Amino acid sequence: MFLVPDSDEQEISNAAAAFVGNEFPLERLHESPRDPNKLPAFSELGWLGLSAPEEAGGIGLSIVEEMLFFIQLGRVAGPVNVLSQILAVATARDNPDICGPLIAGEQDVALLVASHANGELRLIGDASATFALSVTPSSSTLYRFDGSSCRAVPCLDSSVGMYLVDESAITPLVSRNGSDVWIQSQIDVSAMLVGLAERALDMIVEYAKERQTFGRPIGAYQAVRHPCSDMAVRIEAARCQLFYAATAIKEGHQDAAMHTDAARLLSDRAAKANTDTNIQLHGGIGVTDEHSAHLLMKRANLLGRLFGSGKQSMSSLLTLADNAEV
Amino acid sequence: MDLKFTEEDQDFRARARLWLKDNIPRNRRPAHGHESAQFDRDWQRKLYENGWAGVNWPKAYGGLGLSEVQQVIWYEECARAGAPNYINTTYVALMHAGPTIIACGTDEQKKAHLEKILSGENLWCQGFSEPNAGSDLASLKTTGVVDGDYLVVNGAKTWTTDGQHADVQELLIRTTPGSERHRGLTWVICDMKTPGITVRPIKTMLGDEHVNTTFYDDVKIPLSNVVGELGSGWKTAMSTLAFERGTGFIGDQLALYERVNQAIALAGRTRLEDGKLAIEDSNIAGRLAMLKAETMAIRAMTFTQISEIQQSGKPGPKGSIMKLMVTGASKSLSHLVAEILGWEFMEFNGDRNDHPWTYEYLWSWVFTIAGGTSEIQREIIADQLLELPRAR
Repeated sequence: MFLVPDSDEQEISNAAAAFVGNEFPLERLHESPRDPNKLPAFSELGWLGLSAPEEAGGIGLSIVEEMLFFIQLGRVAGPVNVLSQILAVATARDNPDICGPLIAGEQDVALLVASHANGELRLIGDASATFALSVTPSSSTLYRFDGSSCRAVPCLDSSVGMYLVDESAITPLVSRNGSDVWIQSQIDVSAMLVGLAERALDMIVEYAKERQTFGRPIGAYQAVRHPCSDMAVRIEAARCQLFYAATAIKEGHQDAAMHTDAARLLSDRAAKANTDTNIQLHGGIGVTDEHSAHLLMKRANLLGRLFGSGKQSMSSLLTLADNAEV
Repeated sequence: MDLKFTEEDQDFRARARLWLKDNIPRNRRPAHGHESAQFDRDWQRKLYENGWAGVNWPKAYGGLGLSEVQQVIWYEECARAGAPNYINTTYVALMHAGPTIIACGTDEQKKAHLEKILSGENLWCQGFSEPNAGSDLASLKTTGVVDGDYLVVNGAKTWTTDGQHADVQELLIRTTPGSERHRGLTWVICDMKTPGITVRPIKTMLGDEHVNTTFYDDVKIPLSNVVGELGSGWKTAMSTLAFERGTGFIGDQLALYERVNQAIALAGRTRLEDGKLAIEDSNIAGRLAMLKAETMAIRAMTFTQISEIQQSGKPGPKGSIMKLMVTGASKSLSHLVAEILGWEFMEFNGDRNDHPWTYEYLWSWVFTIAGGTSEIQREIIADQLLELPRAR
């Protein structure tokens, strides 16, 4: 029983931090809100095939390393297409012809997130994507995608594209039955949410040491210190549960899905509450466009809506009243 | 990272489960008075005689010399078996005094006290807080004046939990005349039968008298009872509290998970005033799911904390995060169940056994206040973990 990253895992996490910190500093989103497609750069370092089996052209590491990678990607509000790409790789892992180019970052994937009221599909990503991916609790499906007729809609998180398309734009290509890609999606999105929550705390702690009011740094006031401490508590709970869930999946525990549900709920809460508190404690500067605090809040809203928006996690935690393994 | 228990761990769990199944007390713990203390002593003696006391204590001091993970396994099995909660009159002895004497005590002190702690022969109480020194512990004023081989103690301590049952007290006093704040304090072992000690119960909002104010009138304590150095009691006291904030509440943390499951079951069979099952109320369901997630996280946090200690060799400042998390969840749970139960919640005769949820509701403030209030825990996190500018 060991529930902190060991030295190999820490190395992966450090490498991910160095890569995304260098390529995707959070401040980049002020210059150009939409990230250019940098999938080949991710591919070059092996990130897109991190947890894919070696026979499928991947690196053959586990969901634990993938989770550590996504925490780092979350910290910089990194490109969301990396998430859809990695889940597409998992969906197509038994089809080398499709999986190979995905791992190579040659073709990209948009994410089908929900059906719109009038029968249209909502899509996150790029209109020029080759594929579209849908992930449900019982299966995941990769579609061939034709974006020529899709309609762009403005998105609160302006760093991602959002589109409405009708069903004729997608053609099923490969499906994977079972819950494994769904569970993977919950871990990945939870990890990005934890990363956001961490970044929000770092941001306000740094500011609280510098900003002076009434002749003292605001970090010396309990009205600021205590909400910051609560942010740290939310992060610690979400992160430890995420570690537990990812490790339970890696080791094939029967209760892994339940632990993942718990991680999702806690990560959602940590990201939403921490990105909110970060803006509030910054005061006026926190609501300006030039500040980065809103970027985290908007990304938390986007990620929080993906893959069942945590609602599924809530109900399954209650129905599986007690099936934790001991 | 791995979640694997070693073969020894699994074997230990199997033996603990089997033994607990056959040996947990058949009768309920009396709610109050000396009968409750006697019940705790008897259970501790039984654990000691059957080789289950002090799982993670060194063998040299009568413990089993096992790992922190096995200590957690023991508490998990106790929670699962419904064994008596160790947060009872033996708590201060087992979780404060024992570890402090192991870390800072002399050989004579170890010989005199550790076995009596493990066997339930001696119950301990805490003498840290004073009527005018609670959160600001370092402002304490109870004095000890060196007179030959003795300290002569005068003053008052308060919130002395189970002081009326205890044989021995861990007492923190000011021994350097004129000293201020953290300097000049001493941590000393005080025999509760020493002449000059008066224990006066304080009735709480729970309706019981588990806490006391303790008065000292020229109480003579041998100098050989000083743990650590004379005048360096703050250091000793901080090691006491580090144990408590580190892993002292593990057993209770794990029991909380069982209580959440009980609450989910309760919500599945209790109808609200509008006739709807409580679990079908989306607000209640959402809060229950979050509590379930939180109590699962508490277990994960426990293992992460143990792993971090294993890595660094010492308890970090994360104990305060743990305390906020556990006491917060505990409070949310009892407030939620209070809503689910409706009028039934209002039926209360003061007995923990008859009305456990109402009792836990009242008790939930004890946890968010005792052992450093939630506000003090947030200060510790801000200082030690976030390194924010000092508030004081």
